[in-house]
Amino acid sequence: LCRGGLAERLCRLQNRERSAISFWRHQCISDANPPSDKPGVLIVKILEMFEECTIQVAICQQLEQSPATLSSENAVIREREPILKVLFARETAAYLKSRPQDVIHIYPPWQKLLLKNEDVPVIMNTYFSQKVLLSEHSETREKTCGLTKMLIRKNIVSLAQTFRLDDPDDDFCQKSLDNQAACAPQIHNNGNWKEHSLAWSAVNDSLLEMVENQGAVGWREVQVRVIIQRVYCLPAKEGCRAPVQGKKALCEAPLKSSDPPNVRLCFLVQDAYGMFSEVQLQSPSSADDVEQYCRRWEGKFCCLSGMKILQRTTRGRALGLFSLIDSLWPPVVPVKVPGQSQHSEMMTTNLSPPSFCYILTVPSGEIHVEVDEEEQISNLYQPPAVHGLKEILQIDGCNERCSFWAQVLYLRLQTKHSVPVNQREIWLFVTDSTLQNTAHSTPKVVAVSVAASCVLSTEIREALSAASPLVFFRDALWGKGRIICVERTVLLLQKPLLCSAAGADLSELTGPVRLDELDSTTQANSICAVRGTIVGVNESTAFSWPTCNRCGNGKLELCPQDRRLLYCNECSEVVISPVLKMQLEVFLSCPSRAQSRVKVKVWHKMSFHALSTQCIYYEVQSVLGKEVELLNCYVHFIASHPDCVGLEEIVLL
Amino acid sequence: MDSTLPAVAEELLKEIKKAFQETSHVPDDLLLGLNFIFGPCAVPALDLVDQHSVTRVVSPSGRTAFQVLGSSGKLYTCFSSCHFCTCPAFSFTVLQKSESLLCKHILAVYLSQAMGACQELNVSEEQLTSILLAEEEDEG
Repeated sequence: LCRGGLAERLCRLQNRERSAISFWRHQCISDANPPSDKPGVLIVKILEMFEECTIQVAICQQLEQSPATLSSENAVIREREPILKVLFARETAAYLKSRPQDVIHIYPPWQKLLLKNEDVPVIMNTYFSQKVLLSEHSETREKTCGLTKMLIRKNIVSLAQTFRLDDPDDDFCQKSLDNQAACAPQIHNNGNWKEHSLAWSAVNDSLLEMVENQGAVGWREVQVRVIIQRVYCLPAKEGCRAPVQGKKALCEAPLKSSDPPNVRLCFLVQDAYGMFSEVQLQSPSSADDVEQYCRRWEGKFCCLSGMKILQRTTRGRALGLFSLIDSLWPPVVPVKVPGQSQHSEMMTTNLSPPSFCYILTVPSGEIHVEVDEEEQISNLYQPPAVHGLKEILQIDGCNERCSFWAQVLYLRLQTKHSVPVNQREIWLFVTDSTLQNTAHSTPKVVAVSVAASCVLSTEIREALSAASPLVFFRDALWGKGRIICVERTVLLLQKPLLCSAAGADLSELTGPVRLDELDSTTQANSICAVRGTIVGVNESTAFSWPTCNRCGNGKLELCPQDRRLLYCNECSEVVISPVLKMQLEVFLSCPSRAQSRVKVKVWHKMSFHALSTQCIYYEVQSVLGKEVELLNCYVHFIASHPDCVGLEEIVLL
Repeated sequence: MDSTLPAVAEELLKEIKKAFQETSHVPDDLLLGLNFIFGPCAVPALDLVDQHSVTRVVSPSGRTAFQVLGSSGKLYTCFSSCHFCTCPAFSFTVLQKSESLLCKHILAVYLSQAMGACQELNVSEEQLTSILLAEEEDEG
């Protein structure tokens, strides 16, 4: 009930009345306490009775004196005695068990209503009524009354007659446009009527209420108004491979992966009470949609309808989801508290973070997910807080969601042959100006592992293989010294429209990127720069092969016509000047890690004329003693006993 | 004999309207009168009024209907020309058992009108028709 509202007031009045009524005696013997000297007591004699809608209507005669004081002769009804219509509530009538000729004392408080065009006043609120029993007849009379059921005529009220609240002589207009209550935000009247039974249904602003009413009649027509905090894609569960039906999916087949898009577009929404829910679209979407929906829909109000509850999940069972929810807690504006009036503001201090969350599915389509794109961003929206990588590395916590901009320097696919290619973990080595421009204690480059559960769009995949892309990592997870991209992390190329850059230095990197030099703190599966002197060559690993100078194809074949020439199948042409690629393992002596045996797999390219292929033999001995200047490498392994390091030369993006 | 209760109810509602117009306040005794006449649907009806749940829907021809947002979130339609509401309580308590004059939604309509708490919605003729006929459609 609304606090301070009419309903609450009536409730209180009712309760007061009820407690008083519970002590009331509805029958009394007439000798005791004649009430005629008590003010406000009505004495009536029932002439006729009937019932209308559980109210007992008694046509009565008002008596001025208690009938006990009158002799039986004087008890004759005189015409002049005023007639009253007394109404009794169902409970009162049951206590009184009145019959015609009964005398009833009606104690205050009672109410009198005068009807227009009628002489007979109506008495109501007659809870404190007492039937007067004439002592000599009381017992026997009651007994007989109790045995015979009295039949009361019941009037059926016609529904055809409505109530007219305005008097013909009143100027007051029925419409009362100036008293029109301000449109409550939940009634969505944007003039866009849809010829559809679902469209104009009631709009709720509580997810919990909507969920609790599931199963109630008309639940599916309920709309809930929420704001969209995050948009992301989740991989669809195994076994739910719906056939690719959407038009988009058919036309925009992703270039890199051969699988059809098997992801669902999801929204993390929050209602006016601060409650979160993850809403998944039922039909599969393309990962490429995420970027545009992020831009168009995040922060906006949305009306959802036709929802089904998939699951009610708790913190312990959905750590990933709750780490995202925690990053959005506490709410930035006060939220409503259930049970309170809509108009009161509630504080959000000391609100504990949510411990459960409903996962809902909703059919795709504008009718079910109606986003008000034109409206302003809601105050409840919390855009991702962008930090510099340096700051993130210093966060003291586990499973914290973080967002940052970074330049991707190198990409490595984790090779696990048992796992299909598109489900393998990708390691990205990234940096930003906060890492590049600081002193020695922080690493210059950070590894970000992208799990298969983090859905990447085609655009991102392509960009990641291109030159040094700048990527926005949204809601990545930081913990145990690593940054990982998992479910609900989104990688974007576009700068988000709204994000709070909490003092992060988002400036572009100027100058060449520097990697950390190989030293005692270097770890495996990282990238570093190494310099030193070549002190040894592992000749057994020397390997060279020609590649096509046009397309880089490494699988050249001998030309069938002239077996001295090389032929490229990709270009369908003879390769006149192949490029010789060589791979060689060398041992370096590095001043930065002097005690280790550093083995580096190096690559070289040399072009030369095809005719001289058989003559070229890479003189491995000639490299001994050569100085290597800051070679960028991937660290394959670091072993301690014996102390050796395995590196591979890499080319940064 | 003509029924009594409707006239009583009407007069009570008129008193409420008058009191509200004059003082922007509904006195306790009128609230108790509502409770007496309408019984268990008085408090819920007032609650609906407090929440501004009643909307008067008008079409260009002047036809009207009322839509009341029930507590469960479901929208009920109340007719203007006679006492009728699409809620289950109406069909049971009013039509079938004649235990009540009105259901809480119809009472809320009257009270909202008396206190100027009705919201207004203008729709086209077709839309109003579909509101009035909407209950005939099958679910899902």
